[in-house]
Order: sequence, then C-alpha cells, then structure tokens
Amino acid sequence: MTGFIARRLASLVPLLLVVSLAIFVMLHLGRGDPAMDYLRLSQIPPTDAAVAQARADLGLDRPLAVQYLAWLGDAVRLDFGHSWVTHRAVLDDLAIFVPATLELTAAALALTLALALPLGVAAALARDRWPDHLARAVAFLGVCVPNFWLGYVLILVFAVGLGWLPAMGRGGLSHLLLPAIATAAMSAGVLLRLVRASVLGHLSARHLLFARARGLPRRTVIGRHVLLNAMLPPLTAVGLTLGELLGGAMVVEVVFGWPGVGRYALQAISNRDFPALQGFVVVMTLVFVLCNLAVDIAYAWLDPRLRLGLAGR
Amino acid sequence: MHRRSLLILGSALGLPVWSRSGAASTAPTEARIAWPFNVGPLNPHLYSPNQMFAQSMVYEPLVHYTEGGGIVPWLARAWEISPDGRDYTFHLREGVRFSDGRPFDAPAVAANFAAVMANRARHAWLALVERIAGFDAPDAATFRLHLRTPYYPTLAELSLPRPMRFLSPAAIPPGGNTAQGIAAPIGTGPWKLERSIPGESDIFVRNETYWGPKPVLERLVVKVVPDATTRALALQSGEIDIVYGTDLLDAEAIARLGADPHLLARSSPPIGTRLLELNSARFPTDSLAVRQAVQHAVDTEAMVHSILRDAEPVAHTLFALNVPYADVGLAPVRYDPARAAALLEAAGWKLPAGGGVRQREGKSLVFDLSFVGPEALQKAVAETVQGMLLKVGISVRLVGEEPASFYARQKSGEFGMIFGDTWGPPYDPHAFLASMRAPSHADYQAQRGLAEKPEIDRRITAVVEETNEARRREDYAWLLRALHSSAVYLPISYLTNKCVQSRRFAPMPFGATQSEMPFEQLRPAT
Repeated sequence: MTGFIARRLASLVPLLLVVSLAIFVMLHLGRGDPAMDYLRLSQIPPTDAAVAQARADLGLDRPLAVQYLAWLGDAVRLDFGHSWVTHRAVLDDLAIFVPATLELTAAALALTLALALPLGVAAALARDRWPDHLARAVAFLGVCVPNFWLGYVLILVFAVGLGWLPAMGRGGLSHLLLPAIATAAMSAGVLLRLVRASVLGHLSARHLLFARARGLPRRTVIGRHVLLNAMLPPLTAVGLTLGELLGGAMVVEVVFGWPGVGRYALQAISNRDFPALQGFVVVMTLVFVLCNLAVDIAYAWLDPRLRLGLAGR
Repeated sequence: MHRRSLLILGSALGLPVWSRSGAASTAPTEARIAWPFNVGPLNPHLYSPNQMFAQSMVYEPLVHYTEGGGIVPWLARAWEISPDGRDYTFHLREGVRFSDGRPFDAPAVAANFAAVMANRARHAWLALVERIAGFDAPDAATFRLHLRTPYYPTLAELSLPRPMRFLSPAAIPPGGNTAQGIAAPIGTGPWKLERSIPGESDIFVRNETYWGPKPVLERLVVKVVPDATTRALALQSGEIDIVYGTDLLDAEAIARLGADPHLLARSSPPIGTRLLELNSARFPTDSLAVRQAVQHAVDTEAMVHSILRDAEPVAHTLFALNVPYADVGLAPVRYDPARAAALLEAAGWKLPAGGGVRQREGKSLVFDLSFVGPEALQKAVAETVQGMLLKVGISVRLVGEEPASFYARQKSGEFGMIFGDTWGPPYDPHAFLASMRAPSHADYQAQRGLAEKPEIDRRITAVVEETNEARRREDYAWLLRALHSSAVYLPISYLTNKCVQSRRFAPMPFGATQSEMPFEQLRPAT
C-alpha cells in the first residue's frame, strides 16, 4: 500500500508540469496582449509607453519558453507571483479562499452521499414501484436543473419568500445549506442512478441465490452481500464527483456570494489575471488528485482483491 | 397567513428567521451595502484594487466638487490663484485631525504630495501631476502649489478621489513612497476602516473625531456580492440595505425592486454619457453621410425605454447639460429613418432590387460593431442597433469579445463602431477631451479621419491653459460644435447612479460624481 501511495504521489510531478504548461500556453494563445490586461486591471491608461513598461515589468518581453521557465522556477519555491486584481501573493489568496471552497465541497459531498445512497438503494429494492419512480424523478431533476438556476430558486424560496435562511455569505450551517444543495444536486442525481444500477446488478448475482438457498435472513443478504459489494462502483464515482463538485462550486459561489476559490478563479478568468489563474489551476489539480488518491485508498481498503493484488506485486 | 405559518414552522425547526419586519422595529445604527469586490488596502495614492468610493470615505481632498462644476472649500478653507494661473495658495482648515490623532497640517499635505510625486509616472494620465513644478509649506496652515503652466482644472483634479488625498504621516512608509505600501489606512474622513475579510466584507466605523458633521450611523458594512441577481435578491430578503452604483443592478431588477413596498429605487442626475463611436478613418464610416445616417436611423428613445427601462435619460449630445461649458445650444439629432435613407441615397448608397443591404460601386454598406461580449447591456444595445440599421439598408457585424480584445480594438482603431463612455464629473469635459489626443483612446481613433482633427487637438491643448473664462467658453463651444457636427458620436443615454435602498433609511442623497457615495449623510427613516 505504501508503494502504491508513493507511486501515485510521484506521478503528480509530471502531471503538474503538463497541466501548468497547458494552462500557460492556453492563456498566451488568447487574443490580446497580457500587458493590456494588466494595465486595464490596474486602471492605467494604455499608452504605448505604459504598455512597453508593463511588458518589461511583467517579463512579457521575453520569449514564452523563458517566461514559463521563470514561472516554474518561482512556483517550485511556492511563489506563484502576485494577482493582478487583488495585488496580493497568489498563494496568500489561495490560502484565504481554498478553505471556504473545501468546506462547501465537503458539505455538498456529504449531501450527495446522504441523498444518493439511501434513495439509490431504496429505488433498486423497490424497482418499478413508487419509491423507484420518485428516486428516478429526483435524479432526473438533479441532473437537468442548472446549479445557478437552482441557486436562485433556493434563494427566492428560502431567503426571500420564507426568510428561513440567508441568501448569501459565509457563516454557520444556515449559510452553508443552500449553496451545498445547489452544488450537490447534479452529482446526487448521477450517483443515485449509479447506486441504483449497481444494487440492481448485484441483486441478480448468482451468489445471492446461494445465500438465499442457505436460508440467510433477507437483512443479511441485502446488507452483507448486496450493499457492500454494490458500493464499489459508486465509490469510484465519488472521486469523479469531487471534480464535479469543485467545478460546480465555482458558479454556486458567485450566486451565493460564497468567498471561495471558485469565485476567485472566475474573477481571474474574466479579468485574464494570469498569475492567479496559473496558481489556481496548479493548486486545484493538486487538491483533485489528492482527493482521488484518498478515494483509491478507501477502495483498496474496501476491496480485498485489490488490496491483495497490490500486496502481491 | 401562509407565510406566517411557514415562519413559525421555520422557527420550530430551529432555523434562524430573516425577517424584514423584525429588523424595522428599531432605528438602525448600521447599514449594509453590496459591492462586487473588497475595498482593497485603501492606499489613497494608488488605484485598483482600491475602490474609489471607499477611498473617498476615509480620505478627503483640499477642495470638494459639487454638481455642475462648483468647487467648495474642504480641507482647505480658502485659496488664492496667482494672476498667471501658476501658483495656488491653500489656507488649511484648522482643528482637523487624522483618525490616529495627528494634526492635519501643511507638512502633512506636503508629505502626501511628495509621496504622489515620487510615483509620478504612475499618475502620468492626470494632467495636473505632469504640470506640478513644486510645492512647499511656508507655515503649518499654508500649502503652496506651483505649476509649470497655467491649468484651469487644477481645483477639479485636486478634488478627485485619488491620488491627491491625505494619509496620516505616521502611515507613510520610511522613504516616503506610498507606492511601496502604507502602514494603515488612516485619513481625516468621516469613516475608519475597522476590518476587512477577503471575499466577504469590509467594515467601516464612524470616525468619532471627525471635524465635520459626523455620520449618523455607527457602522457601515460593505458586503462582497459579485453577482447582480444575488444583490437584488439580498435587497429583497433584507440582508442588504443599499445598492448604489451605475451598473450594480440591471434595469429589469431596478424596475422590479422599485415596486417592492420595502424598497425605494431612484436615479441620480447625469454623471456621464453612454455612447457609440463611429470610426471616421475606416470605410464606410469615413463618410459623413453614413455617420449621419446612422445617427438618424437609431431610435435611442425606444432603446433606452426598452433596454434601460428609463433608468437613465436619453442622451442627444456628447455631454449632459450639467457638465461645465456643455450648454452651447447643440441641436439634438432626432430619430428619422427617412432622413437616414435620403442621406444614404444622396451619397450613392442604393438599395438593390428587393431590399437588403445598400451598395455602392460594388461594395456593400457593412461595418463592425464591437462590444464586450459578457456585458449584457452592451449586447442588447448592439443587437437593437443592428436591427434598426438594417431597416435603412446598413448591415452591422456584431463583434462581441472579451474585454482585453475589446480594449485592444479601441487602441488600434479596428472598429467601425464601438462602445465608449465619457468619464463623468469632475473629468468632463476637460480630462475626457484631453484623452482624445492620445492614440491609445478610441476617441482619437474614431476622430482620426476628420479633416479638422489637428485643429480639435490644438484647441483641446489650448483650452485647459486658457486663463480667460470667456475665451475658454468660446473654445469649448467650438470643440463641442465640431464634434457634434462630425457625427463621430452616437450618444445613447446619460449614465446615472442608481440607488435602491431599504425604506428603513431616509432617501440617501446622491454624490456629485460616480464614485462619491455620501454614506455619512445616511440616516434612519423618521
């Protein structure tokens, strides 16, 4: 297991290199001069002299390869430069905003699991009866409804209409609930269908027939032989769900005024804040890969075949 | 009844209940406003990310700008200008202290001017900074400013929210260059910045030692709300008391919120002009007839009514009449599609059989209209203009791009038509006109093809140095008439600040400029 984790961590290095290079190239492929973006964000009139000065100050007058290597050299020392919008160090900005996004994503993940697992299992066990129809309808809606629209509807109903929950901002649980629902809706829908399909698949497995033939009580058959086995595919999906949730949080954070890194990134995208975007992409790649690694470790722990396979290598 | 039951249910479930009626029972001591960003470190001598309205809350100018171009005493109680217009002597108000208790005096003013001049290149856009030859403080209550050449808008530019405002000398870093950062945002203004929470809010408290009338409210919380729809919903839910700004809410939302009995929606007098600029240096808008036809073919009144929901007045001239020197009797260009068609016919642009797009000598009457793609308002106006112009046989290609590309076009002149705006008071008219001489501005590019462009630039340069008021007025009249008759501008509406606020507060007065938000005058409703 230790070797497995070490290998996965080692694979992070080339991955981060590729990702950082890709985002660097993409940013510089766009139309327009980054120096103009910098001047616009700093509210400096873009005279020819000002553009030339900005290009020199930002190192944009050097070849692209040199610029990338300079950025990489700094990034290795955890210096991602300064945001052109906030004028703070990008790493400081990320340290401020990432925790709020992780809080929202964790809450959304908890909601996703709390909704998808029981409803998915109930739908499978009551196939083609009303709990199944209800669960499938919930899943259908969750996948169809755009999260920003759902966010506005939730605010309209629970903040403006009923006055139960705040419309925006970060605070206690009351502030977290609506954005977490808006973030989780789609992933919950997808996961619900996956759980349902997985449980249905295991319900018709041959070893269940044997278990029933042995006279095992239904609770044991379902609990030990169906649910435990059926949880493996959804667990893999949780890793991907994390990516969805982090991505979904970007829009939801704007709608709910949630001070997370997604909102920070959207602001950086709309302003072409190059240093912030590069720092954001690298750090979020790291977060995403580490979360998936945690899922893989859990998977190996749950599935003895995988664990033994690893041990045999 | 139904809502009441739900509220009771909510309470029973342990959910906190946000209720506007509950909040209204006591007189508020704080107001919560929404703004898209944090206010920044509030360095008085720097620009973004410092937000101008917040800089104006903490730091004050020597003189204050009032609507219509008036200048009134502020931290300077009086001043004299030498006959040659080069020397300004300011007599400072006595008894003024920074919020850290230090006295506001001439050495403090000089230290701040020195800090600004140490970063001179950064302020090169401001003509006054370029003209400052020196300054001194002959005594504690007198500050003198010496200019290289006379410059009549000196007082107007001293009133700007930045950079000529005053930080406590204790907060100026060793070496005196505030461009390197400041120790703390300490000014003489009615508010003090108590705390900033990145991405969430900035909290201001009343400056209890303020020299003027103190704010009625104790605290002002600036909540960071980047999304316009959320700002509107937060006003409705009672979590925000005031949204004040030019484009913080869309026109539909303002109309809807105005109908809410808990809220009050108002617009300020004009504080700028939204406009389209026609490129006189590119085919086919290099033709005066085409530019005039475009002006006659666009029904700006209908557009302002349907898109802006009349939240702004229709503009017929480059500057609103409340701009100094702008009332020169220019005749509005009226919507008249028949006149537009006649102008085009006379210029040889003929409609092909069956209608469509006019042609002349085998060329079609087509040009680009460039706008910022993500800006919904510009997109709606662009699409409407496109439809209106097609009715008279002009085809418009819409070019919606990200801001960087849009501004690159403004600078390079790669547009037939492009969105622009005037800078508003106190920059209008002098600073906005001055920018027309810079090739990096869309105005320069749009005017580049005019035969009278050299004379326009010469007069702009001369007018700001003109010390004779009558001759200055004549120069401005000539300039505004020349620009009006050149048909380079298609004014759309006069920009206004929109204020939507809770009725828990008395109507908030409007400031004279875009960035001046007089929260110190905000008080609970009686």
